[in-house]
Amino acid sequence: MVRFKSRYLLCEVCVENRSSLLLLEEKSIYLAVKAAVARAHGDYGSALLIVSYAVKYVNAHTGIVLIRCRKSHYRIICSALPFINSLENRGQKVPCFLNCLHVGGTIRTCQKFLVKYSTQQLHRMLPQCKNEAERDEVRSAVLSCSLGKERDVEEDEMEDDWEDE
Amino acid sequence: MSPELERCSRNLLICEKSNFRDERARYDIHVSKHFFNYKLSMVIPECASLPACIAGVIQTFSSYYRVRDLPVYKFLQEDILQKVVKNGHFYALSYNTRIDEDNTIAFLPSGHLIMSVNKDTYEQLGLEGKPSQYTHRKVQRYVVNVDLTDKSMTPGAKTYQRLITSLKEWVPLKSDFLISMKMTAEDDGGALQTLLSQYSFEEYRPTLQTHTLKETPCPSLHSSNLHGDEKSCDAHRFLEWLGAVSMDISCNNEASSFLSTYVCPEPWSSMSQGLLCTVTGFLIPEDIHSLLLELRHYFDQPKFTSWLSITVHGFADSPVSWGMTEHGFLKGGENFYNFVCFENQDYWLHMATGSHDGCPP
Amino acid sequence: MEDLAAFERLVCKNASDFHYMKICLVLEKGRRNVEAAQFKQLMISGLRQLYGEVGAALPFDVLKFDPSTLTGMVRVCNSSLVKLWSAITLIGSYQNELCAFRVTQVSPFLIALSGNSRKLELD
Repeated sequence: MVRFKSRYLLCEVCVENRSSLLLLEEKSIYLAVKAAVARAHGDYGSALLIVSYAVKYVNAHTGIVLIRCRKSHYRIICSALPFINSLENRGQKVPCFLNCLHVGGTIRTCQKFLVKYSTQQLHRMLPQCKNEAERDEVRSAVLSCSLGKERDVEEDEMEDDWEDE
Repeated sequence: MSPELERCSRNLLICEKSNFRDERARYDIHVSKHFFNYKLSMVIPECASLPACIAGVIQTFSSYYRVRDLPVYKFLQEDILQKVVKNGHFYALSYNTRIDEDNTIAFLPSGHLIMSVNKDTYEQLGLEGKPSQYTHRKVQRYVVNVDLTDKSMTPGAKTYQRLITSLKEWVPLKSDFLISMKMTAEDDGGALQTLLSQYSFEEYRPTLQTHTLKETPCPSLHSSNLHGDEKSCDAHRFLEWLGAVSMDISCNNEASSFLSTYVCPEPWSSMSQGLLCTVTGFLIPEDIHSLLLELRHYFDQPKFTSWLSITVHGFADSPVSWGMTEHGFLKGGENFYNFVCFENQDYWLHMATGSHDGCPP
Repeated sequence: MEDLAAFERLVCKNASDFHYMKICLVLEKGRRNVEAAQFKQLMISGLRQLYGEVGAALPFDVLKFDPSTLTGMVRVCNSSLVKLWSAITLIGSYQNELCAFRVTQVSPFLIALSGNSRKLELD
C-alpha cells in the first residue's frame, strides 16, 4: 500500500509568564510557523511546506504543540522554528520561543515520548519544590504516572505505522 | 536542505602529462581527432609581442568558406565525393544549426557523414541510424552515421543510390555550411571551387587578435606535478585562471569584497607582461598541429618563462567532439583542450567535456 | 639525455567546485546605468524572494560586470547553481521597471565562457 509519509514535530512553547500560554491557539501557531518558513526559505520553502502542513494538537495549559508535515522536507520546518520569537493572538503579541522536543513518524510515538518526557520533568521538579504542599502534589503526580507506566510497559515499544489520516 | 536542488550534471576533465619527445605520446592524435575547432587562445607569459615565427604559422592557416543553403546531396555527387570529401582533409559543419533543436550535419575528414536529426526528419529520411545517447525515455533525436569510404557507398551501388534519393527527394536537407580543406600538392581545391561557385559563398580568413597583459598575477607551474599541491596549482584552478586572464577578470580581490572573492591560485608570482593571442574561425586540426610544433620551438632560445599555454575550443553545436564520440549541448556544450608546454618539452594536456559527451580519448 | 617525464593520466569527474554563468540583464526601457553592486544586489533579492534568508546567504561571485551591455560573469558553487539559476529566472522587475535575466552560457569551466561558437558572426 502506498501512503504519504509524514513527520510529526512535538514542540514546546516557552514563555516568560505561564499564564499567557492560555492565549495559545492553533491558528496563531499555524501562522507563525508559516511566516517563519517563508522568511527563512522563501517562496520555495512555503510551497513545500503547505502540502500536508497542519497543527494537529495544541495544549494551552502545558504549551505542547504537535505539527504535521511531509517527511521529505521536515527539515525545512525544523530549521525555521528557531526563528519564531513571538506568537500573536487577537492583537496580543506574546514573546516566546519554540523548543522542538521530538520528531516522530506517528502521533502515537510522539505521545509516548511526551509521557516519558513529562515524567522526567516531574522528577526534575521535585527538588525544586519550595514547601511541603507542593512537594506532596508532585509526589502524588509522579506516583500516579509511574503506576500507569507499569501497565503500559508490557506494550511493545516498536514504532508502528498507525496513522491518523 | 533539498538534495534535488543541489545536484549538477556531470563534467569530465582528463589531465595528461607526458613529453613531446616521447614516442608513445599521443598528443598529435588528440589534436587531429578534434575536428571542429572554433577558437584557439594562447597565453605566453613574459612576452611583449607575438613572435614572428608563430605569427607566420598563423598566416598560413587555411581559409574557410561559408556557403548558404547548400543541399547535402551535392557533397555526395560522384566527382565531389571522390576528389573532395574522401581526400582526407575535408571538413564541413552546418552553420547556425543548434545541436539541441535543429538538424546538424557534419563531414569528417575520415570520410564519414554524420547527421544529427530530429525524430520527424529521421523517419522521413529512411536511413539507418541510432537513437541519440542523450535523450530521455522518449527518443527525440537520432544520429545517422554514414561511412562514405565503405564499398557499398561507391557511386552506383544500391545503398549509395538510396542515400542520394533520400537526401534529394524524400528530405531535401539543406543548410548553411562552414567548409575548410587542407590543400595538398595533388589537389588545389578546384573541384570544391566548382561546387561552391553554384551557390552564394564567402571566403574568410581566421581572425587574429592579440592583447597584452600587464602586471598580472600568474600561477607557478612545475611540469612534474600534475596533481597540484602547495608548490603548484591543480588543473581546475589553472583552467579557471586561464579563463580569468582571457576574459580580463580581475584576480586581485579582497576576501571581504562584496562583489567577488576570486583570487589567483597559490602559489603565484607577478608577471610583468604577458601575451594573450586568440584566433577565431573554422580552424582545422592540421593547422593547429603545425602551430603546436612551432610553439615547441619557442623554448629553443632561452626565455623568461618556463611554460606557455594554448587552448582550443570546439564548436558547441558540433555533432561529434573527439573522433566520432557523440556530442550534445545540455547546458554549455563545452568541448575543449588545453596544452601547457614546458621548457623541457614536457607537456600537460587537459581535455574537458560537458554533460552530453563521451569521455575524451 | 635527461629522463623523459613519465606518462600520467588523471580522469576527474565532476571535480570542479564551481560553475560559471554568463548572465545578461535586459530592461524593458532599454539601457541605463546599473552598477556591479546593484546587479549583484538584484540577484540576491531574487534569491531572497525564492529561497528566503537561507537563499540570500548563498555565496556567489560576480567576477566581471560590463555596465554597457549589462552582462556579468558569475561564479557559483555547484550545489547552489540550480538555486541561483531558478531565482534569477523568476526576477521580473528592477526598481519598478520590468526586467529579465538571460543566461547565455553556463559551464563548469571558466575558460569555456571566453568564446561562444553560437555567436560566431560572419559577414
